[in-house]
Amino acid sequence: MSDMILAVPVLLPILGGAGILIRQLRAKEKEAGRQLAFIAEGLVLINSLVIFWLLGNKMGGSLVLFRLFGNLTVRFKLDLMGGVFAGMIAFLWPLATLYAWEYMIHEERKRTFFAYYVMTYGVTSGIALAGNLVTMYLCYEMLTLVTFPLVLYPMTKEAKTASRRYLYYSIGGAAFAFIGLVFVLSFSATGNTDFLPGGILNLSLAQERKNLLLFVYLLAFFGFGVKAALFPLHRWLPRAAVAPTPVTALLHAVAVVKSGAFAILRLTYFCFGVSFLRGTWVQGVVITAALVTIVFGSTMAVREIHWKRRLAYSTISNLSYILFGAAVMTPLGLTAALSHMLIHAFMKICSFFCAGAVMHQTGKTYVYELDGLGRRMPLTFGCLTVASLSLMGMPLLGGFISKWNLAQAAFGAMGMTGSGTLSDKIISGLLCAGVAVILYSALMTGIYMMTVIVRAYFPRREQPAEETEGGGEGFAASLDPNWMMLFPLVVFAVMIILLGMCPAPVMAVLTAIGGEAG
Amino acid sequence: MIPEICAMGLHFRLDGFRLVYLCIAVLMWTVSGVFSLEYMAHYKKKRRYYLFFWATFIATAGVFLSADFYTTFIFFEIMSFTSYVWVAFDERKESLRAAETYLAVAVIGGMVMLMGLFLLDNLFGTLAFDELGTEAGKILRGELGIRQQACALGSPRTQLYVASGLLLFGFGAKAGCFPLHIWLPKAHPVAPAPASALLSGILTKAGVFGVIVVSCVMLGTSGEWGMLVACLGLVTMFLGGLLALFSINLKRTLACSSVSQIGFILTGIGMSCLLRYAGKDIGLAVEGTFLHMVNHSLFKLVLFLCAAAVFMNLHQLDLNDIRGFGRKKPMLLFCYLMGALGISGVPLWSGYISKTLIHESIVEYAEAVNEAGPAAGQLMAGPAFWRGAEWLFLLSGGLTVAYMLKLFFVLFIDIHPTRQKEFDDMSGSYMRPLSGFVLALPSVIILALGVIASSKMDRLAYLGREFFRWEGQGSLEAYFSPGNLSGGMISLGIGMVLYSLVVRLWMMDKGSGRYVDRWPAWMDLEEVLYRPAIRLMVVISLVACRILEHMTDGLILAARKTTHRQIPSVPSTAGKGKVYGKRRRWHWMRPSWTTQFLLLSVGRLRRSGRLVEESFSYGLMLVCIGLCLTLGYLLLAFLRG
Repeated sequence: MSDMILAVPVLLPILGGAGILIRQLRAKEKEAGRQLAFIAEGLVLINSLVIFWLLGNKMGGSLVLFRLFGNLTVRFKLDLMGGVFAGMIAFLWPLATLYAWEYMIHEERKRTFFAYYVMTYGVTSGIALAGNLVTMYLCYEMLTLVTFPLVLYPMTKEAKTASRRYLYYSIGGAAFAFIGLVFVLSFSATGNTDFLPGGILNLSLAQERKNLLLFVYLLAFFGFGVKAALFPLHRWLPRAAVAPTPVTALLHAVAVVKSGAFAILRLTYFCFGVSFLRGTWVQGVVITAALVTIVFGSTMAVREIHWKRRLAYSTISNLSYILFGAAVMTPLGLTAALSHMLIHAFMKICSFFCAGAVMHQTGKTYVYELDGLGRRMPLTFGCLTVASLSLMGMPLLGGFISKWNLAQAAFGAMGMTGSGTLSDKIISGLLCAGVAVILYSALMTGIYMMTVIVRAYFPRREQPAEETEGGGEGFAASLDPNWMMLFPLVVFAVMIILLGMCPAPVMAVLTAIGGEAG
Repeated sequence: MIPEICAMGLHFRLDGFRLVYLCIAVLMWTVSGVFSLEYMAHYKKKRRYYLFFWATFIATAGVFLSADFYTTFIFFEIMSFTSYVWVAFDERKESLRAAETYLAVAVIGGMVMLMGLFLLDNLFGTLAFDELGTEAGKILRGELGIRQQACALGSPRTQLYVASGLLLFGFGAKAGCFPLHIWLPKAHPVAPAPASALLSGILTKAGVFGVIVVSCVMLGTSGEWGMLVACLGLVTMFLGGLLALFSINLKRTLACSSVSQIGFILTGIGMSCLLRYAGKDIGLAVEGTFLHMVNHSLFKLVLFLCAAAVFMNLHQLDLNDIRGFGRKKPMLLFCYLMGALGISGVPLWSGYISKTLIHESIVEYAEAVNEAGPAAGQLMAGPAFWRGAEWLFLLSGGLTVAYMLKLFFVLFIDIHPTRQKEFDDMSGSYMRPLSGFVLALPSVIILALGVIASSKMDRLAYLGREFFRWEGQGSLEAYFSPGNLSGGMISLGIGMVLYSLVVRLWMMDKGSGRYVDRWPAWMDLEEVLYRPAIRLMVVISLVACRILEHMTDGLILAARKTTHRQIPSVPSTAGKGKVYGKRRRWHWMRPSWTTQFLLLSVGRLRRSGRLVEESFSYGLMLVCIGLCLTLGYLLLAFLRG
């Protein structure tokens, strides 16, 4: 069982996190925090190294951890798509923990925070490495439970409401997802729920109950869609922005929400199979849902004045880009969805970390308070500028690549469905509208991100700057945070630029995944 | 070509047209860069200015060198964003507002353009200019390739037109084409003057570059398209001229003049499509367009730098405040005259050549329509339309003359009522020698190009051959023939008349001799139409979103109120004290532990009783729902068979 090591990235953080929770630290209170952060960082780093090693050496390996009963197995498998997701979180987690180290330094209850923060890593890698729907469902439920204390963490009234709402939505969603699991199992051609590119349904059986299965797919789509903040099930996400920034940034912009999107991709391309779903009424419904969410999220972001909540709405709209890619249901669609998943992770975590850095250094949380901060925190806002321009889809930066791919995929699929039946016409119309919606959303992104940047760099003053500034540029002390918070920021900004300038190697991998699964 | 950068690779090419424009870009940036040294001397944040100054240079050069739309788009966007910083540079309220407009137009234009690119890419599978040209030609002739099929948007031909229309919107927004010209009159007066020179002289030309590619390379044989562009051009040049005539701000006048001159260029582009459509030689239109682009870049460089010299000393742009500044400053007079005479199309200056060429192209097409006579159905529009277009053209030329005369009188003839002496004293020191030198340089070029027109300008225009897809030979030989001179003279005459009638009699206050802004304030497309429209759109969508936002929460709330009701917890003692405030005096009677236990257990009993009750009723309800569903299903099954 040399593949036993596949379970390590899942189990190590979970056990380690539990260990942090249980073990009493002997050191004094002051030292304890540092020690905790150190342990957490160490665990996360080791785990990431393991994942990277796995990506290099164990591609395609699989492992049955244990059997629940019958053909329900907990199975881990490292395929390309899971590898992309695992690699992404393995890259982000250590940096985010480093950031959290500095960010949380003055906070209470560090133990709870770091313990669950580390445990979430394990559960998320579980979702990435899950080899069948059962395992994924299991990890999906666990994800709700381990992130719940993180949302609750500030223990304010707001946080309690938010966490309760989070729980209601997530549990409800998981119930729908469960229905999907049961049906996939009973209509599976292989007798189990192991993921296979192109779907595992027994097609002859499935054709008889086509409408029922399509309906079940819809349920499961919305079920997993809760985590991906699909409208109208998105409401928990903006509220959850009360959590500490490392949580909002890593979990509510990347790990948790992308798990939802990832699960939908798995469900669509690896369980039901696109050949079964393409061109049916359900495709129309899911495309519509994604488009409505995109419009909704970006519009709400414009009116929101709390910076982190604004970013959360932006996340809602961007997640649905991924779902739109999934709903296109072509190989190109999968490629586009994955590329947006990857690039959006960098952009959004970077913007959130900037917001967090500002909160940490100045305590400002509303957009209108940011006047003139761009000069005081040059590096932070430099990174934010890169991230925002990228979110808008400015060429040379990552966001442009993924938007380009999405539009390509949408138009490509439009050609494929040109056979002339009514549902085909509706779908190709929707796809066309989708591109328009993406551009509309880019415009809205321009408004809600650029207002922040413009405010920061060009404060609204009555007099020209020359007269009021007095001392000049060098005099005001820089407010940039220390290296532990800056380093992740700069790395993310550089990654955004790199992904925009030469995305070829990454895109090659993603195209391979698309080609395999479509 | 640089492969694999930005996913699709960047493609560059250098041909005659691009070479000329690259040279102009270098010239303009050098001149205004040198001029900035003096202009920016008193500003802080110089570093930022120069950073974005040169970044924009690179981006602009990238646009002009690009050989496919992807590359064009990338550099175009960079150019928009870096030049945004110029407009917002001095951070006053109106600058920020203008910058907002500029950014909005740039972003919306960029998005629309991107949409067009998506469509084109889907239609042809390539964005390289050459291939697009051949492929689009095929579609226009009705031959379809494998990729092209009807989709939701209609037939490939329609798709091609839609895509081109979107591109025209995007590039036109940057070029300042009506009705997207709104940013020019706002942005120019607030940007630093050397930057305005570039914005107007060459950034708008980047937009024109795109329009040329769409019109001449892709849709060169389409008459409808030529008609569209020509009409837009005619409207733009007339309205721009009108705006400029009524403006009483130095830089705003120049900005509106840019709009007008871009209109001339667009007309030329449209004419080249139309002439090709009619089977004529497109030489006239192409040469006219190209030369007018080059000329206009130079004129605007000179004129804006003159404005910079004024602003540098006075920090005023209102015509009433700068009256008489140019008196006794021969250097400024010379430079201004070169620019003004050129742009007005006075014979011997280069503007005359290019305007005459465009004019002749209209005349030629009108002749073609006349020749075709009653069979003109296949050619665009009737002879009357073209006669009107020709006169509109001459009238716009007249407007140019009129507003240039206005500025000339203001700067060099009028006398400032109070500060004239002060102005005269500046004549030695208003400009450093270096700045004066670089200002004189383009002025001399304008003169030189105009005087030795037939030999040099033709050769220059010939360089644009390849880019404009112009195969023919013919061009106008006799620039100074009576027929051609008469066109220029008519324009000049109209200009003089307009100036004396409109400016002297209407815009000037009789008593004080001040210039009055006669343009009705409400006639501002941006304030009347665009801003309210966007605001309305945002408000409506926000209201809708607000309502939708609470939908799911309402569902959960409803569930909690009805089917999933939770048992209220036993009221705590702390709460009781607050609620029943009056009983607080009994608090000293603390119950003993036995009574406490009893009380608690009673509470517990009561609570568990209610729990049983609640769950029982809940269970019953679910059973009922289940029964109803089963009954319904049975009924359905029975009915079906």
